[in-house]
Amino acid sequence: MKNSDFKTINVTERAEAQEKNANPFLETVKGFGFTFKRFLDHVTGAEDHLISYPEEKRPYSNRFRGTHILTVREDGSIKCVACYMCATACPADCISIDAAEHPDKSIEKYAKRFDIDMLRCVFCGFCVDACPEEAIIMSREHEICEYTRDTTIYGIDRLMNRPQAVDMGPGYRPNYPMIESKLPFTPAHPDPDKAGKPVNTTPKKK
Amino acid sequence: MTIIQAADAAGLNELKIPRFCYHPDLPIDGNCRMCLVEVEKMPKLVIACNTPVTDGMVVHTQNDRVKEAVRGVLEFLLINHPVDCPICDQAGECWLQDYYMKHGLYQSRIELGEKIHKRKAVDLGPMVVLDSERCVHCSRCVRFTELVTKTGEMAFFNRGGHVEIGTIENRPVLNPYAGNIADVCPVGALTSRDFRFQSRVWFLKFTDSICNGCSTGCNVRIDHKTGTIYRMVPRRNVDVNKSWMCDEGRLSFHTLETVNRLLAPFAKGPDGQLIETEFNHAVDQMDREIGETVSKKGVGSVIGFGSAGATNESLYLMKRYLTEKHGVNQFEFRLEDEDKKVEEREDDLLRRTDKRSNTQGAIALGFADAALGGINGAAKAASRGDLTAAVMIYHPKLIHDLSGEAKQSLKQFIDSLQFSAILTPVRESWMDGASVLIPIGSWSEEEGTYTNFNRAVQRGGRAFAPKEQAREAREIFAELLGLQRPGYFVTQAEEVFTEMAEKVPAFTGLTYKGLASNNAKVPPPEGRYW
Repeated sequence: MKNSDFKTINVTERAEAQEKNANPFLETVKGFGFTFKRFLDHVTGAEDHLISYPEEKRPYSNRFRGTHILTVREDGSIKCVACYMCATACPADCISIDAAEHPDKSIEKYAKRFDIDMLRCVFCGFCVDACPEEAIIMSREHEICEYTRDTTIYGIDRLMNRPQAVDMGPGYRPNYPMIESKLPFTPAHPDPDKAGKPVNTTPKKK
Repeated sequence: MTIIQAADAAGLNELKIPRFCYHPDLPIDGNCRMCLVEVEKMPKLVIACNTPVTDGMVVHTQNDRVKEAVRGVLEFLLINHPVDCPICDQAGECWLQDYYMKHGLYQSRIELGEKIHKRKAVDLGPMVVLDSERCVHCSRCVRFTELVTKTGEMAFFNRGGHVEIGTIENRPVLNPYAGNIADVCPVGALTSRDFRFQSRVWFLKFTDSICNGCSTGCNVRIDHKTGTIYRMVPRRNVDVNKSWMCDEGRLSFHTLETVNRLLAPFAKGPDGQLIETEFNHAVDQMDREIGETVSKKGVGSVIGFGSAGATNESLYLMKRYLTEKHGVNQFEFRLEDEDKKVEEREDDLLRRTDKRSNTQGAIALGFADAALGGINGAAKAASRGDLTAAVMIYHPKLIHDLSGEAKQSLKQFIDSLQFSAILTPVRESWMDGASVLIPIGSWSEEEGTYTNFNRAVQRGGRAFAPKEQAREAREIFAELLGLQRPGYFVTQAEEVFTEMAEKVPAFTGLTYKGLASNNAKVPPPEGRYW
C-alpha cells in the first residue's frame, strides 16, 4: 500500500480554508438554526427521552452490578462456605466474614457472619469473580440510600432478602442461568430481562 | 549429610527441592518421592533426602527429567485429593498448593466422582482434627508420635488407594505435645483445633518471639492480626526446642485474653481507693515518693522488686533508675523460689517446672537479694517496718496461676508498705493496697531479651503496641532516666542491650544481633556450677 492509496486531509489547510471562506454571521445563524430544530423536535414529540422516574424506571442489563445477593442451596441454607476469597479479592476491604463449623460433615464450613459495608463497596464485582461456589452474586438494585450510617452495613439477612432485589432481579453472576445455587427469593419477573417497569426509549423520528 | 540437607544448608531458596516426608528433626523416611533429583553418573533419579553427598557429585534439580518426575509424583498424590481448598484451613500454607503452582499446573485426568472418599472432620482430641481424604501419606505424624513423644498414637490403616491415617478406634491424641502434629502435617489432613476457622493465614502478620510459658524459652512465631493473637507456632532452634513446642505454651497466649488487663494508670485517692489518673502524674508521683522516702528514712527502706517474666532490658533500666537516681541497693524478684526450680525438668522433652521465662536473666542482673530470699522475706521485712516503699514490676504467669501463698505474701507486702508503685499489665486483687498502678505492655507487646534456663539470651519480638494507655516498661524507665534521644519516641531494646553488655559483667561480649547463635550465653554466677 502506498501513501497515495490513502486519502489524506491536511487539517491545517482545511481549517484555514474554512475560516477564509466562512461568513461569521452565517455560521452563527446556522448554529442557532440547529438549536431551534432540536427544540422543535422535542416540542412536537418527535424525540422524547424523558421518563417519569420513579414511576417509570430504566431496565438495566442482565450483567448489571448492583447490591449483592448471597445465594442458597436446594434446601434453603446459605451456600457460602466462608473461604474468604471475596474478602481477599475486594479492593475496598469491605467484606467481613466469620466462619463456623457446619453440622453436616460434607459441608463442614459456613459463614456465620457475612457483612458488607456498602459505603466502602465500589461495586466492582471482584467478589463475584473470585467466589468458587457461586455463593455471592449481584442484583440490579441500585437505589440504596439510607438515613443513618449504621444501616449501611448489610448482614446476612439483608443480603439474602430485600424487596428491591426481588423486584429488579439478579444481575452480575458467574453463570446465566445459575448452575450450583439458586436465589434466596423468587424474583418478581421470571424473565430477568423484563424486570423493572418498561419504558419507551426508541425515538419517534420519521 | 544427604543432598537435601546440603541444599538446605546452602540456602537454596529458589531451587528448593520439593519434599513432603523429609523433616530435619525426624528420621528420614523417603516415601513421598518428591525430592527426586538427577545425579550425574547415576542411571535413575535418586531421592535427595536419603542419598549421601560425595566429593565431586553434580546434582541437577531443574532439568526436564526431574521436572517431569516431580509432576508425575504430584499427579499421583492428587488423584484422590478432595477439592477442599475453600474449606481447608491449610490454604495459604499448604505444600500441595505451593508445589502444584510451582511444579504442577497440569490438566487432571480424574473425574471428581471417581475419587475415593474417606473420613472427614474426625475429632482426634483437644488439639487435632483429622481429614483423611487430604492426607498425602508422608508419615510425618507417625514418625513424630513414634519417635519424639514416644507415644505411638498415629498409624496407617488399610492399603493401596484406601490408606488412611488415624488412631486406633479414633482415640484422642492426649500427649502434651499433640499440637506439633498439626504443625508437621504439610497438608490440611491434621489441623489445629484451637485455630480452626479462626482466620485465613494470609491475613495474619508473623512476629518472631520467645514463649513466656516456662524457662525453656522455646522460639515461637506469633501469628496475629489487628492486636489479637490467633496462634503460636514453634520456630526451629536446634539448641533450644528443635521444631517443637508443648501444648501449654502453645495455648499460653489465651491467658491474657481472659485475665483482667490494666489499661489505665491508677493512684490512691484521699479515701484510700484507687482512682484513675494521668500517666505522667502517676510516674511523677512514683519518682517523687521514692525520693522522699530515701531522704527521710534512708536507702535501706526502699526495694526494687523485679519479675522473672520481665525482659532483661526493663529489669536493667529499673535497676539503673533506682540505683542512679535514688541510690537504692536492695532488689528482689523471687515469688515462688524460681531460682531453685529454673533448671528442673518437668518431662523428658521440653517442659520445665519454672513457669517463668527470665529467671536466669533476673539472677544475672543482680535481683536475687541474699538476705531477703524472696517475697516471703520481703513481706516480713515490710511488716516489721524495715521496708517502707517499693517499685515493682509484676507479670502474671501464663501457665498455671501464682500459688495462693505467693499471692498472700504479695498482699501482705503491699499492704504493709507505706508507698508502693506496681508496673503491671494485669489487675489482681492483691494490688488493691498499692499507691500507684502503672499499666505496661504484656510479653507480646514489649520487645526485649529473655534468658532461658541454660542461660542462653534470646530475642523476643513485639507483635503489636501495648493496649490503650499501657507502655513498654523499658520505655517508662528510659524516660525517667532521660535516655530518650530528641525526636525519637521509643528507646530501642537494642540500644539498652548494648549498654547492658558494657555495664553488666554477666552480659559482656554479647551483641543484640548476635543473639541468634548458641554462643550467646550468660556465664553462671559466682560460686555456682550450673
